[in-house]
Amino acid sequence: MISDFTYLKPGSASEALEMLAEHQEDGKIICGGQSLLIIMRQGLVTPEYVIDIKRLKDLNYITFDAKDGLKMGATTTHRTIEKSALVKEKYPVLVEMEEKLASIQVRNWGTIGGNLAHADAAGDPAPVLMAMGGSVKVASASGVRVISLDEFYTDLFETAMNHDEMIVEVIVPPRPAKSATKYQKFNLLDSDQGIVAAAATITLNGGGGCIDARIALGNAASVTMRAKEAEKVLIGATLNDAVFEKAGEAAAAECQPVADIHASEEYRRHLIKVLTKRMAKAAWEQAKISG
Amino acid sequence: MEKQLVRLNVNEQDYDIYINPKTLLVEAIRDYIELTGTKRGCDTVSCGACTVIVDGMAVKGCSVLAIQAEGARILTSEGLEKNGKLHAIQKAFLDEGAFQCGFCTSGMLMSSVAFLNESKNPTEKEIRDGIEGNICRCTGYNSIVRAIDSVAKGKYTEDKA
Amino acid sequence: MNKYTVINPHEPFRVINTHVHNVDGWAKITGRATYTFDVKLPGMLYGKILRSPHPHANIKGIDASKALELDGVKAVVTGKDTLGVKQGIWRRYKDLCDEQILPVDKVRYIGEPVAAVAAITEEIAEKALDLIEVDYEVLPAVFEPLDAIKKGAPEIHDGFERNISVTRHIEWGEVEEGFEESEYIREDWFRCGGQAHMCMETRCAVSSYTPDKKLTIYSSNQSPYYMQGLMAGVLGMREGDIRVLSPYVGGGFGGKFELDGAIFCSAILSMKLYKPVKIVYTREEDFIASKRRTPMFYYTRTGVKKDGTFCAREAKVFTNGGAYTGMGATALYLTGFFHSFPYIWKGYRYDGYRVYTNTLPSTSMRGFGAPQAMWCSEQQIEWIAADLGLDPIEMRRKNSHKEGTILPGQATIASCGIDLCYDEITKWIKSKGKLPANRSIGISACGFMSGGIFNWFDSPYSFSSAVVTINQDGTVELHVGAQDIGQGSNTTMAIICAETLGVKVEDIKVHSGDTDNCPPDLGAWGSRQTLMSGNAVKMASENAKKQLLEFAYAQSGLNIVYDLDIKDRWVHAIARPERGEDFVQLVRKALRGKDGQKIVGRGYYTPHRKGMISPAYSYMLQGVEVEVDEETGKISLIDSMTAHDCGQPINHLGLIGQLEGAFSMAAGYGYLEYMPYEDGKLMNPNLVDYKMIRAPEMPPANIAEIDTYEPEGPYGAKEAGEGLTNPTAAAIGNALFHRFGIQMKECPVRPEMVVNALREKKEKEHAEKK
Repeated sequence: MISDFTYLKPGSASEALEMLAEHQEDGKIICGGQSLLIIMRQGLVTPEYVIDIKRLKDLNYITFDAKDGLKMGATTTHRTIEKSALVKEKYPVLVEMEEKLASIQVRNWGTIGGNLAHADAAGDPAPVLMAMGGSVKVASASGVRVISLDEFYTDLFETAMNHDEMIVEVIVPPRPAKSATKYQKFNLLDSDQGIVAAAATITLNGGGGCIDARIALGNAASVTMRAKEAEKVLIGATLNDAVFEKAGEAAAAECQPVADIHASEEYRRHLIKVLTKRMAKAAWEQAKISG
Repeated sequence: MEKQLVRLNVNEQDYDIYINPKTLLVEAIRDYIELTGTKRGCDTVSCGACTVIVDGMAVKGCSVLAIQAEGARILTSEGLEKNGKLHAIQKAFLDEGAFQCGFCTSGMLMSSVAFLNESKNPTEKEIRDGIEGNICRCTGYNSIVRAIDSVAKGKYTEDKA
Repeated sequence: MNKYTVINPHEPFRVINTHVHNVDGWAKITGRATYTFDVKLPGMLYGKILRSPHPHANIKGIDASKALELDGVKAVVTGKDTLGVKQGIWRRYKDLCDEQILPVDKVRYIGEPVAAVAAITEEIAEKALDLIEVDYEVLPAVFEPLDAIKKGAPEIHDGFERNISVTRHIEWGEVEEGFEESEYIREDWFRCGGQAHMCMETRCAVSSYTPDKKLTIYSSNQSPYYMQGLMAGVLGMREGDIRVLSPYVGGGFGGKFELDGAIFCSAILSMKLYKPVKIVYTREEDFIASKRRTPMFYYTRTGVKKDGTFCAREAKVFTNGGAYTGMGATALYLTGFFHSFPYIWKGYRYDGYRVYTNTLPSTSMRGFGAPQAMWCSEQQIEWIAADLGLDPIEMRRKNSHKEGTILPGQATIASCGIDLCYDEITKWIKSKGKLPANRSIGISACGFMSGGIFNWFDSPYSFSSAVVTINQDGTVELHVGAQDIGQGSNTTMAIICAETLGVKVEDIKVHSGDTDNCPPDLGAWGSRQTLMSGNAVKMASENAKKQLLEFAYAQSGLNIVYDLDIKDRWVHAIARPERGEDFVQLVRKALRGKDGQKIVGRGYYTPHRKGMISPAYSYMLQGVEVEVDEETGKISLIDSMTAHDCGQPINHLGLIGQLEGAFSMAAGYGYLEYMPYEDGKLMNPNLVDYKMIRAPEMPPANIAEIDTYEPEGPYGAKEAGEGLTNPTAAAIGNALFHRFGIQMKECPVRPEMVVNALREKKEKEHAEKK
C-alpha cells in the first residue's frame, strides 16, 4: 500500500526547487510516476511530501541547435520523443529506443527525466544517451549543474543528485558526421526491459577508419556502464567482423552482470558479447552512409 | 495528511470526489465515481486492464494519481456507447468475438480507441504493437487485432461516436 | 491474418455454427458486466489473509490482540474459528480430503493462509496483518518429488508413506509382448514445468451471512454447484442454505473450481460478524497462493517396429503435487491416459505417483495433465521417427485411432477425424515451401476428452441439467447450471436451445451462475459443458418443443405419417413448409391449453456406459513454425496451423476464440511461462517477471476444422478449446529438434537452455571427431 503523503503542486520549476530545498529527503518529485508509484506501492519509498511537476510546461520541450545539440525538458513524455519528427531526423536511435520502451500507455504519461532519475540499470534511455555522450542538467534552488551520464549513476538505483536537486533537462551533443548509434536489448517479450542491452556509437573519419567508439551496456552491472575495454578494441581499428567479435568479448569480460531467474551470469555475458558485436557493426554500417 | 476535493471529468461528466491524494485514478473511477467497467489485474503497471483515455492518450489508471488527472478529459469504456449506439470498436469486438471472459476488455477497448485515433492505415504489426500494453489471457489477441483492423479499414464508418 | 477452412462441412444449420454474437457481449463491451471483483454490498467489510512465510511449520500459537486493537479492524479468524474440516474436491474419497483452508496445526507451503482479518477498509486490513503474531515451529521441508519419496524425507501428511498421496495405474493390452515384438526401443526422462492460470480476475469472493443462518457468496469460480457443496461441507451447513453466485467470471482455466482462501476466509469472517466480507487476491497473492498446473517428472519407454508400427509403451510419472491433493488426483490419471493418445498400442502401461511436497498445491489447468503428457510423448515419437529414418507424419498416421477404436477397459472411440488432420497439416507444410534458414516447423498430435465420467465429487445429481421455459410472447428462459467463464457457454447453450426449439438466439435469455435459480451442473472443467450441458439443453428444448407441438398436431388434423417442425419461429409441416403458423400464436394456444401454465421443458445428462474417462474425444494435429536466433537462443513463433476435429462446431465465434486462446496459453507453456521456485518460494510472482504471450508475440493461428459426427454429443458436437492446449509445447520442441537436432527434455524451453544445448551438441560432436 502507498503510504500517506502531503501533496504539493508547484506552479513552476523554481517553485518545485524551493519545495525540494525545504523538504530535502522528506520530499520526492513525481512526474509520470510510472516507476515511482510501483516502488511506493511496494513500500520501498515513503516520502512525506510528494511534489508534482507533471503539469509544468516550462520543463516540457524538445529543441535542437547545431551548436549545443538536442535538449529535452525533463517532463517531456516518452511518447512525445517517440513521435518527434525532429528527434527522428537528428537522432533516430532515440525514436527506435522509445518505440520499444514499456507500452504506449507508459510512454504517454512517463517522462524522460523521471526515467533517468529512477536509475534503473535496465532502463532503456540511459545506455543510448550514454553512448551518445549525453548529459543531464540538474537544478536546485541554488543553481544548476550539468552532469555527464557517464558520471550520473553511482550505485544500484542511485544517482549523483543531492536531495534538493532534480533533473530539468536532458542534453545530447550534436552528432558528428559519419557517426551513428544503435541500440538493442535482449528480452523474451517485445517491450520488456532488457535482460541485458547494448548501445554502440561508431564515428568514422573520411577514410572509413574508426576514430571514436562509445559502448554503453544496460543491466550488465548495478549501473548503466560504459564498456571501455570494448571501445579500445574498436577505436583506431579497421573495422570488420573479427574486430566486432573481439569488442564483444571485451565487453562480456568487463561487465558485471548479476544472475537472476531470467539468466545466469554466464549467459548474460554471452548475450553482452553478441549484442555488443551486433550493435557495433550496425552502428558502423549506419555511420558509413550517414552525413 | 488531508483529504482533498478533486474534480474529475469522466465521460463528459464532472464528478466531485473527496479523496486522499494517494488515490490512484483507477481507484477514483471504480470506488468513488463507481464506474466499475475499468478493472485492475496487477500491481506492476503490467496488465493494462486499468487503461483509460486521458486527454486522448491511453494511460494505465493504476499508475496515475487521480489528482494528476484533474482538469483532463477522461474516457472509460462506459463512455464509448452513446444513447444505446455502440462505438465502432465495440461493434467490431462483437462481430469478431474479440473478448471472452471480458475482464481485460474495457482496457483493451480504450487502448484500441486511442490507437485508432492516432493511426491511419495501420499494418498488422503496428496494431499488435498498439495493444502490446494490454494482456489478454483468453483470446490469444488475434480476434482483437482483426477487430481493430476492420475499424481501421472503415468497416463501421456509418456510426462514429 | 488467420485462415479458417472447413473440411467436409456438414449441412448448414439455422443457428448452430453460424456467426452468432456472444450473448454476454453487450455487458462486457460496455463495461456493465459486474464481476465478483466489482461487487459491493451495503456494510461490506474488506478481508485480507495472513500467509505462512515458511514451507513447513507447526503453528504453536497465534496472537491477534494487537491487530484487534487497530481502529477499524472488526475480526481476526484462524483455523481455530473453523470446524477444522479437511476438505477436498475428491469428496468421495476421504483420504484425499486433506486440506483445511485455514489450517489448525500445521502449514505446509509458503503462502498458505494462516489467519484472516476483516476491517472497514482494505488498507486497514492489510496493516492489521503485520500486527498478527504467529509462533511457528519451523520443520524441515522438501520441495522436489524425487526428494520427497526418499527415506527420511520430512513427512508432510501423517500416514502417507514416502509422501505419496495418490497412485494411479492404467494398463491395457499386452505390454511385455509388445516390447518383445519391438525392433526398436527408446526411453527418455522429461521434466515438465508448472504454469500459472493467470486469470485476469484474481481469486476473489464476497460472503454475506445473515441472521437467518443463510449464506450468500459471490465467487469468481467455474462451478457454483461445487462451491455450494464444498462450502456446505466445511461450514457444517445444508447446501440449500448457501447461495453461490458467479455473475461474470474473469477467467478460470481450471484453477477456480476448488475452494480457495478468498471464498473460505470471507465466509468464516462473515459468519462471525454477520456482515458481508470481500476478499480479493492481489496479483502477487494469486501467483503465490492459487494452485498451479502440476509439474511432472516423466519416464517413458516406447517400443516400435522398424517400419514404425507402435508396439508398447510404459510410462512412470512422479508429479509435484505440492502440499495438498485437490484436483491433482484427476490430473494424475488423465496425464497417463492421454500419454497414449492418439495412438493404438498393442500394450500400454502407466504408473503415476502424486507426491506431496512443501510447495504450492498443484491442481487442474487447461489440458489437465495432457500438455505434460504430449510434451513427452510427441517429442519422443519425433525422435523415434528420426532414429528410424521414417516420415514423422506418416508414422503417426498409421498408428492413430480411428472411429471404432477400442482402448480396452477405458474407452471406445465413436468419432475420429484425425486422419484428415494429417492431410491438412501435410498440405500446410508443403504450402510453406522452403523456409528461411533460421526457421523450422514442428508438429504434434493429440486428442482430448469431452468431459469426465468419474463422479469423484459424489454428486447425486445429473451431471448437467437444464430447464426451458417459454413465455407467452415467445421469449424463452433457459436455466442452466453450466458456468460461463469466458469460453462462451451461455452462448453455446442459447444456440443449441434456439436451434432445437426453432427460434432465434435473441429470443433466449440464459440464466446461469446462481445456485438459487439454476439447476445443478458440475460446471466448467474437463471441457465438458458443450457435450454434457449441451445435451441437457437439447433434451429440455426438445421436451418443450414436443409439448408445444402437441397442440399444433391436435389442431392440424395431420395424417400420422406427417411431421411438424419449428424453424425461424415458424411452426409448419415439414412436407409443406409454407403452411403453418407463427410460433407465438402456438405458444399462446398452448398456454391456454395448459390452464395458464407456461410450457416448461426439462433436460439432463449423465454419461452412461461410455468407458472410464470420457463420452467422446476430440482430435487434432498442429504445426508450428518457429524462428530461433542461433546466437542468443531466442524463440519466436512465426506461424501455425491446427487441423481440428471437434465433431460439429456449435458456437462459431466461440470456437475460433477458444482455439486461438488455447494456442497462446499452450505456447506459453512451451517457451515462456517459467515458474521457478527456490526452497518453496516462487521467485516471480508478478507480471514483470512471469512471461506471457502478448499481442506482438502471437503468430497467426490458422485453423482447418474437420467436421465429423459424434453420436454422443448434441448435434454431433465434442469439446474444443482444452484439447488445443496439449500439442503446442511439443510442436515447438519438435521444431527445435528439426532445425538443430537438440532434444529438449524440459519445458518451458528458455533461450539459455537452447544456447546450452547447442553448445553441448557442438562439444559432443567435437569430442566424437577426435
